[in-house]
Amino acid sequence: MSDQKLLSMPVSRRSVLGTIAAAGAATVFSPLGATRVFAQEPEKPSEIIVRAWGGSWVDSLKAGVSDSFTKMTGIAVRHDLTEDNEIQPKVWAAVAQKRVPPIHVNWDTTTNATKSALRGVTEDLSDLPNLKNTTDLAKPVGLDGYPIVNTYGYVYVLAYRPSAFPDGPPTSWKDLLDPKLKGRIALYNDGIGFHFPAQVAGGGKLEDIPGNMQPAWDFIAKIKEQQPLLGEDPDFTTWFQKGEIDAACTISTNAREAKKNGIELAWVVPEEGAKFDTDGLWIPKGLPENELYWAKQYINHALDKEAQQVWLDGLGLPGVVPGLTPPADLANDPSYPTTEEAFKHLIRISSKVQVENESVWFAKFKEIMQG
Amino acid sequence: MIGSRSKTIVIWTFVAIALILLSAPTIVVLGASFTAGNMITFPPQGLSVKWYGAILGASDLRQAFIRSLIVSAICTVVSIPVGTLAGIALAKYKVRFEKAIQIYLLLPFTIPLIGSGIGMMLVFGNMGVLGQLWPVGIACCVINLPFMIWAVTASASNLNEDLELAAANCGAPPLQRFLYITLPAVLPGVITGSLLMFILALNEFLVSLLLVDARSVTLPVQIYNSIRSIITPDLAAISVVFIVCAGIAITLLDRLVGLDIFLKSK
Amino acid sequence: MRNSRVAYPLTWRVMDMLENVCARIWPASLHRLLPYLMLLPAVVLVGLLVLGLFQIGDASLRVLDTSTFLFSEDYSLENYRQAITSGFFAVVASRSLMGSVIVTVITLLFALPYAYLMVRTQSSGLRKFLLVALFLPFFIGQVVRAYGWLIILGNQGMVNEALGLVGVPPVRLLYNYPAVLFGLIQYMLPFAVLMLAPALTAIPEELESAAGSLGANWVRTFRHIVLPLARPGLVGAGLVVMTLSLTDFAIPAILGGGSQDFIANAIYDQFFRTSNQGLGAALSLMLVAVGSIMVGVVFAVFGAGTLAMTGGRK
Repeated sequence: MSDQKLLSMPVSRRSVLGTIAAAGAATVFSPLGATRVFAQEPEKPSEIIVRAWGGSWVDSLKAGVSDSFTKMTGIAVRHDLTEDNEIQPKVWAAVAQKRVPPIHVNWDTTTNATKSALRGVTEDLSDLPNLKNTTDLAKPVGLDGYPIVNTYGYVYVLAYRPSAFPDGPPTSWKDLLDPKLKGRIALYNDGIGFHFPAQVAGGGKLEDIPGNMQPAWDFIAKIKEQQPLLGEDPDFTTWFQKGEIDAACTISTNAREAKKNGIELAWVVPEEGAKFDTDGLWIPKGLPENELYWAKQYINHALDKEAQQVWLDGLGLPGVVPGLTPPADLANDPSYPTTEEAFKHLIRISSKVQVENESVWFAKFKEIMQG
Repeated sequence: MIGSRSKTIVIWTFVAIALILLSAPTIVVLGASFTAGNMITFPPQGLSVKWYGAILGASDLRQAFIRSLIVSAICTVVSIPVGTLAGIALAKYKVRFEKAIQIYLLLPFTIPLIGSGIGMMLVFGNMGVLGQLWPVGIACCVINLPFMIWAVTASASNLNEDLELAAANCGAPPLQRFLYITLPAVLPGVITGSLLMFILALNEFLVSLLLVDARSVTLPVQIYNSIRSIITPDLAAISVVFIVCAGIAITLLDRLVGLDIFLKSK
Repeated sequence: MRNSRVAYPLTWRVMDMLENVCARIWPASLHRLLPYLMLLPAVVLVGLLVLGLFQIGDASLRVLDTSTFLFSEDYSLENYRQAITSGFFAVVASRSLMGSVIVTVITLLFALPYAYLMVRTQSSGLRKFLLVALFLPFFIGQVVRAYGWLIILGNQGMVNEALGLVGVPPVRLLYNYPAVLFGLIQYMLPFAVLMLAPALTAIPEELESAAGSLGANWVRTFRHIVLPLARPGLVGAGLVVMTLSLTDFAIPAILGGGSQDFIANAIYDQFFRTSNQGLGAALSLMLVAVGSIMVGVVFAVFGAGTLAMTGGRK
């Protein structure tokens, strides 16, 4: 109860920073202001560990959230770059064996995080004060309360090399069936991001998911004839760099990153639509009380408007706090939806449906591709 | 080597192909580490040592490297007595169920590394020792132990029972026979095995990944994780630093023991 | 100190003491058990894996409920049924089994001459060079090494550029089954050579000279002297290569372009991607069983490998 009260205290970041500046970094012991309420503030750990993806992903998180968190609280942030898939069994095993989990905060895909939430290994985050300033996107669909907080959305775009499309950009996922693209396209190796547009491209309806996905499998079988390469995020960048592929279904952030590295690249949301999904932050169960408190403070801070702005400028993705300014290169970009209209072209399926059927979809996709 | 010209040609053909196979990617990566660009390319785009500067400045890489050395040392130190004894036992004595035991001792190779990793994560987790370095060292030792055992047994044909009997005849007690006759005979195998164990532990990432946390991460795990985003030339530079360290180690070994010892024994 | 060494060196005294201790804790009457005692540490160490296997075995009998992501309380064989009846796993399994056999044969074919030259050459410089060339690739992690291959064999790689000079259009050399086998052979070659070298060292060179002076040409000498005597080494190296390539994960993942999965990749997917530890565990255990059976078959066909010598001597 007192915890809740603590967290719902309105905190002005500016006044905090002011206090810090006045007190001098070395003598900061009470980041949230020297009011009497915070005399009961739990003991600070020397550091907290946040799982993150490497490369530009962790760089943006550090710049936007971690560094300012450290400045505010004096708690160092260590980033664990283990993949989200690979940290999951470690966290699950730790909770099952009643050990302290290896991380404080997990930056995770909403789908993966939902699995952990269903399994009951996540802490409830409903009491974070900054949640009241967020859009609907922050709330996980189909789960009670906030076992996860979504922090931004992203789109699986059709990224392509303009020189390989002299007649103009591709408009449909069916353009990938062009014979001249044989062996020149790439998908994620479990097909993630591609199942739903394939359902539409194969003549099916989104409402039929998950009941009847035959149209999707038929379309994917046709794509298989094109001998696509299958990989993960770094593979796409490498393959575009080394001229192995001309088009790929990948997250817009990867395409933007490759473009920043000097690779000639563009992307579209084809007429069938593109999958929209979210990533979020959550805290595993089993942390000591005081570390749990500060881990929550970290996530709360990640929902701060200023933190979101810097973090998501780096990622080039739309956040969950209203009033963020898109990066200059992404204004009106289909991969950065801000309007109702833009969202109409995107496909959103509830994470509950996704997690319940994902393994079947992955297996089916693999079966087609490995056959 | 003795023999005819045709033998030389045939053997050298195979060896030449093998050498190209083994060295080509190494040479490319070596060269690429000196690139001035931001991509691994060969030939490199302009020469610079900026990527070496980048890795020298990274203190987390240095700490991870030191942790890796500790892990490898633990792995090697444990594997030497364990593997040597087991190897000698298999080669020298008649053991009941020896085939079953061999199949059992090959489990580290027949269990996929992911299975070994998950299994040991659970076992060490139950023991409450995760987060320390020694379980990682032990794990690296277990998954590569067959190398040690097999390296020893492969050189155990040098064992000479007559020599041991002669020593016994002269009154040498069992421990002395073991230390002065059996052990020197298998020494080449022990050295080969230890070298392999050390190098493999220094490069192991899949099992270690499941046993370390952010505070005890080892270099190969760190590299494996950073490769997940984008592959930059600093990885090539790290490989070169690795090679240089290995070069120094091998030279030292050559000076101290002589590399020939485990190839041309006797 | 010096005096005593002349009379009765300290080391001797230490040795005597150790001998006594040994004799005390392990009397000669128990000598029959000595080899088992020597095997004990290795058995215990591998026992850690077996403990893990029990955990995995338990998981393999539980079914994942995707509405809670918890595993069933009661045991069933559902995961095994799924693994056996799925056409996908059959494809992946036969691909890895066939792959491991092909890789083993080709690797041994190259490893034998390499090890032979390394052991027999008169030049210690050449020997060291061959040895160093074996160890170097280890230090370039598998992933970076694969990146090196991409630079060499990729669509815009050096080989294709060279082919382009003589007018051959780019050929896709990577991301197919042969590329995976190629990568595995390259990865396994050093292991095989190092396993073979000690066995070849043990073959007296005089034996070959003798055969030669009796009129056998080198091919016959090789077949009738070197190969049979190197058999323990060949079997050992072959087993190592076969089991390791059967269970390899990284090379099929990197050089297969995502469509050439081996069993370990399928297991990885179950454990890490779809969170279905039960099915992953069942697949792991089946792979362990298949691998162990293959080892047993090799023992049956080619003899107990490294143990042949003791067998012969009785």
